[in-house]
Amino acid sequence: MGLLNLIEPNVVKVPLVSTTKYEVIPELLDILVNCGKVSNRDTALNALLERESLGSTGLESGIAVPHAKTPAASALTLAIGIAPDGIDFQSADGDPSRLFFLLLAPPDQSGPHIEALAEIARLTRAPAFLRALSRAESPGEVVELLNE
Amino acid sequence: MSGPIRNILINVDGSEESLTAADYAILLAGAVDARLFACYVVNTRALQDLVRSRIFLEVEEKEYSRDLEADADRYLNHVRKAGNEKGVSVECLKRSGSVHQELLRIVDEESIDLLVLGELAHVRSRRDEFYDESERAMRSAGCSVLIVKDSDRVDELFQRGM
Repeated sequence: MGLLNLIEPNVVKVPLVSTTKYEVIPELLDILVNCGKVSNRDTALNALLERESLGSTGLESGIAVPHAKTPAASALTLAIGIAPDGIDFQSADGDPSRLFFLLLAPPDQSGPHIEALAEIARLTRAPAFLRALSRAESPGEVVELLNE
Repeated sequence: MSGPIRNILINVDGSEESLTAADYAILLAGAVDARLFACYVVNTRALQDLVRSRIFLEVEEKEYSRDLEADADRYLNHVRKAGNEKGVSVECLKRSGSVHQELLRIVDEESIDLLVLGELAHVRSRRDEFYDESERAMRSAGCSVLIVKDSDRVDELFQRGM
């Protein structure tokens, strides 16, 4: 399953209201909980925080990709959030993160999980595209940009 | 084994589409008396990409690599069993690396004359076309390629034993 198949306007939040790393993860997770894509919020949150405790998923270029395997997700699922002012996510280059991709996968779907993460990794190598995405002002605009 | 199709390769990646294609390839191999190879490629290239881009830590790369190895065994066993059910012997190959490159390598090594792939994902973005492994294999393979569609019909055919 391609990354784009996971993206609908209802899993995109623009702008995010959080201002810290440990607020933004629950805010993104709640998008998926509210869409009925996560059965147990606490289990999923613990999995995300446990992964984050091993090392920040804040990459370069203002992107962060919090992710985890958890039985609380019955299928591969993705939330996207944009924080126009940036959030300190202890990223690799020290810059604030503006574009968040939160990905959850059931433990038995490693293949699709890896493919989706690899697609996000490829996006990180397109700086002009990322700049346009970070400037998006609505979920519809984000979906439209990703579908171009 | 004297017809135009002597060696068939099916790519199994764990998707529903690839498993449907495997069922069809089993029926086809039985019908034309061809050798059937099933291959699962552990996509270590994607794992390495994830480490390079710092999305994965090395500990995650190892963990997911183990998961994929287990998936490979599980899905290849599934196809082998399905073949046995229909009296078709399936030669299972587990490889690692870049999916489309490994498929092309097997096409050469085993003199494959028909590569069978599951239905391709609907292309929703120009970026998809460059990275879909099945699509790349379809475009680059030196042999004929069959894309299996209509899973309901294939399922019915398989159940009927045709």
